[in-house]
Amino acid sequence: MTEDTNTGSAVVVEGMSKFFGDFQALYDIDLTVDYGERVVICGPSGSGKSTLIRCLNQLETHQQGTVVVNGTELSENTKNIEDVRRNIGMVFQSFNLFPHLSVLDNCVLAQRRMLKKPKAAARATAMKYLEQVKIPEQRDKFPGQLSGGQQQRVAIARALCLEPQIMLFDEPTSALDPEMVNEVLDTMIGLAETGMTMICVTHEMGFARQVADRIIFMDSGRIVEVNEPEIFFTNPQHERTKTFLGQIL
Amino acid sequence: MTELLQLLLGEFHAKMLLVLLSATQWTIYLSLTAFIGGGLIGLLFTVLKISPIGWLRRLATAYIWLFQSIPLLMLLFLTGLGIPAFFKIDVPAWLAATVSLTLFTSAYMSEVWRGALESVPKGQWEGGRALGLGFNWILYSIVAPQALRIATPPTVGFMVQVIKGTSMAYIIDYNDLMRWGKKIANSQLDGAEPYIVYPVVALIYFGLCFPLSQWSKSLEKTMSPK
Amino acid sequence: MFDFRFYEIWREPDFIDRLINGVWVSVELSTAGGVFGLIMGLTLAAAQSSVSPSVLRYASISYIEGIRNTPFIVQLFFVTFGLPLIFNYRWPFEASALLAIVLNFSAYFAEVLRAGIESVHRGQIEAAQSLCLTRRQTFFDIVLPQAFANVWPSLTSQFVFLFLTTGLISEIGVEDLTWSGRYIADRNFRDFEVFIVLTLLYVLIVFGYKAIFSLVQRFAFRWRVAR
Repeated sequence: MTEDTNTGSAVVVEGMSKFFGDFQALYDIDLTVDYGERVVICGPSGSGKSTLIRCLNQLETHQQGTVVVNGTELSENTKNIEDVRRNIGMVFQSFNLFPHLSVLDNCVLAQRRMLKKPKAAARATAMKYLEQVKIPEQRDKFPGQLSGGQQQRVAIARALCLEPQIMLFDEPTSALDPEMVNEVLDTMIGLAETGMTMICVTHEMGFARQVADRIIFMDSGRIVEVNEPEIFFTNPQHERTKTFLGQIL
Repeated sequence: MTELLQLLLGEFHAKMLLVLLSATQWTIYLSLTAFIGGGLIGLLFTVLKISPIGWLRRLATAYIWLFQSIPLLMLLFLTGLGIPAFFKIDVPAWLAATVSLTLFTSAYMSEVWRGALESVPKGQWEGGRALGLGFNWILYSIVAPQALRIATPPTVGFMVQVIKGTSMAYIIDYNDLMRWGKKIANSQLDGAEPYIVYPVVALIYFGLCFPLSQWSKSLEKTMSPK
Repeated sequence: MFDFRFYEIWREPDFIDRLINGVWVSVELSTAGGVFGLIMGLTLAAAQSSVSPSVLRYASISYIEGIRNTPFIVQLFFVTFGLPLIFNYRWPFEASALLAIVLNFSAYFAEVLRAGIESVHRGQIEAAQSLCLTRRQTFFDIVLPQAFANVWPSLTSQFVFLFLTTGLISEIGVEDLTWSGRYIADRNFRDFEVFIVLTLLYVLIVFGYKAIFSLVQRFAFRWRVAR
């Protein structure tokens, strides 16, 4: 890996460490994700996987090492963080839809505010992505009127509306009732088929196996193992990975 | 003490401050009486409000609603001017002020305490009943101790409202801090201009209220349910 | 046994006019005070957010504590009789009353709104950030509407509580409802009946205000009950 900050890779993380006060959450993380690649990050809770992807759009700031996203290096005083973030869509565990806005307005708001799109164009884009996540008929409802699975699909559409190059998923199905997990995973699989660059923190191993180009296993703030799904599931290299897979599968 | 004040502020202002501070005692007496009296009556109506007997509950609801709806100022006028005029009796200002502030306090306190009691989960009552305990015993030994935790910070906080409320009593000629402040400010004496007197009065009220509101805030932090 | 003589109020057209005018003045001043107080309270609450400079935060907290820990009547007298001497300029008592009401209401509203702003879930702000909304947009488009909805009931009862203290402006000669009552009682000596009527009028106005607040709740915060 070189100091390649041009358009070669979507994400280049080198030697990154992250502290919360005295507590070190991430140790010396190295990670490169190419455009079009689908990466799944898994690991036990508290292993730092969420913190890692939150560092990629600076919802958390790292203290050591470098993080380069879309060719821009992120640091505490990154002025153009908006330019970086507009190319990264983020989907949260708890959906974080804006409860006071209708489904359509959730999708329209950022287009209007950030991209300064005219209303009609913003609505058209919103409808396009609401159709992609198969929920266009709910456009006028408020998030509180939808099921968890529907809300999460709206959240995906909302992120897509800014037409990002990279999508981050932070445990998108963990807060869902079991019967709703699949509708969200299907949406994500559909998205993967369009060639989107995706980084997903998830425990859904079936999804990982089907979609991921690489699986990253983290434990205690460190990347323990990186492998293709086939090898990861059938012949994991590390003892810790085996234990984890034994617990989860 | 007096000499020191005279040295610091000059004779006139030292005297003024001493007059105001001595008037403050009447503000404190009135506040304490209203708080204790209002607390006791409030407690009674809190218990009535959650009692198993329907008409007692309705009585408490009516009482709380009534004295929360009547502006304190109107209570003072009614007890201090209205009742004497209507019944042709003499009601001293201190009595009218005490009654008004007590009624005012009791209504708001029972509202706060009822809220605290209701925030204790229903399961606690059911658990007590399952053990064969009666209403009084469940309330006294199980629910009230838990509600106390929730109710203490707003109760302390309401003392601030009571103290501020007493400042209205000057309107029926109760001789408290506010009334003396107004007298001095109206005296037209040099050095007793309203822009000097009222900030001093405000500062004394602040000295009474601020510690209480800080205490209430710190209680809120330590007593909030984990 | 009781010799109520309410007709001593009704029989005099002048008294009726005073009462009507008093209701109008009270409603006018407290409504204007409520609106301006809300704007100022919002400013004070926003000044306390973690991103504002510490001087501003400290000033806002001091102001709020100063107002909340002193009686309204002292503030009113200072504004009415003290300030004009300092500025050496007299203005009408109505203006003093309105100023005092705004200064007073704003501190209480600020405290309620601050709690509302703090009650907005952190994830909402993160979602706004990840959608590239600016701080300003996040505050006005995302945080504020939810904050208002969360504390609307507290805001309602706080306003009602404050409204019930505004009768004190009669003390500086503003012809509000309390002033009208005292004017009538001074002339017909039926204090008890007059203040009963006044109390009823205050209760009616409170009903009116509460109705308006719940109407706002029903329409502006529809999303909260929608399910």
